Amino acid sequence: AASKPMKAPYSKHPLEYSWTFWFDSPSAKYKQAAWGSNIRPVHTVSSVEDFWSVYNNVHQPSKLVVGADFHCFKNKIEPKWEDPVCANGGKWTVCFARGKSDIGWLYTLLAMIGEQFGCGDEICGAVVNVRARQEKISLWTKNAANEASQLIIGKQWKEFLEYNDAIGFIFHEDAMKDRVAKNRYTV
Amino acid sequence: NGADGNGLTTKKYSRDFLLKFAAQCTHLPEGFKVPSDIDGALLVSGVDLLRESY
Repeated sequence: AASKPMKAPYSKHPLEYSWTFWFDSPSAKYKQAAWGSNIRPVHTVSSVEDFWSVYNNVHQPSKLVVGADFHCFKNKIEPKWEDPVCANGGKWTVCFARGKSDIGWLYTLLAMIGEQFGCGDEICGAVVNVRARQEKISLWTKNAANEASQLIIGKQWKEFLEYNDAIGFIFHEDAMKDRVAKNRYTV
Repeated sequence: NGADGNGLTTKKYSRDFLLKFAAQCTHLPEGFKVPSDIDGALLVSGVDLLRESY
């Protein structure tokens, strides 16, 4: 029928990788015994436009409930230590006061999806952990032992965020053994 | 600025380029579904809840 709405032909801007958002809510967390069993994929985006469609409709970290974890990982990589791609990896972490990580989170996402990191293949994804006193953003990478790549990524990330404090890199294998694992690298 | 155009190199987009699209992509993407027990914690209230109901 003539009145049927037609979608205008329009090509979206493709991303180098597809990215999956995952959410872990505190309410679900307490109901389940096994850690990680509540992390659920929310949506996968593969274009600039779809990224914004999700981003604009989900809360920024400052509006998420305390205890929430919100992840954005390359499609097919699960945000877990056990994931085969993450197993030998590690993470850089930046800390913000509660309610202060929104811009840092957005700039981290844009740097990832826009392939702004020099060793982009090293990136697994990012997570923001919302807690009562602080919001932490971690950038997960694949090959923790590759110091040169991790240092490049850490330095670039600080520049993107205009973050001036020192940040540390923790190996997942250390974190599995010790809750307060030591930084292997610092930039 | 933006896509490489030749399909051979990485699709790099600067932050400023990506930000240009922010205001025009406000509707939930097609096929967007969130389990009902977490949608209140995750979604901005008043979003276009035209998705399937549960």
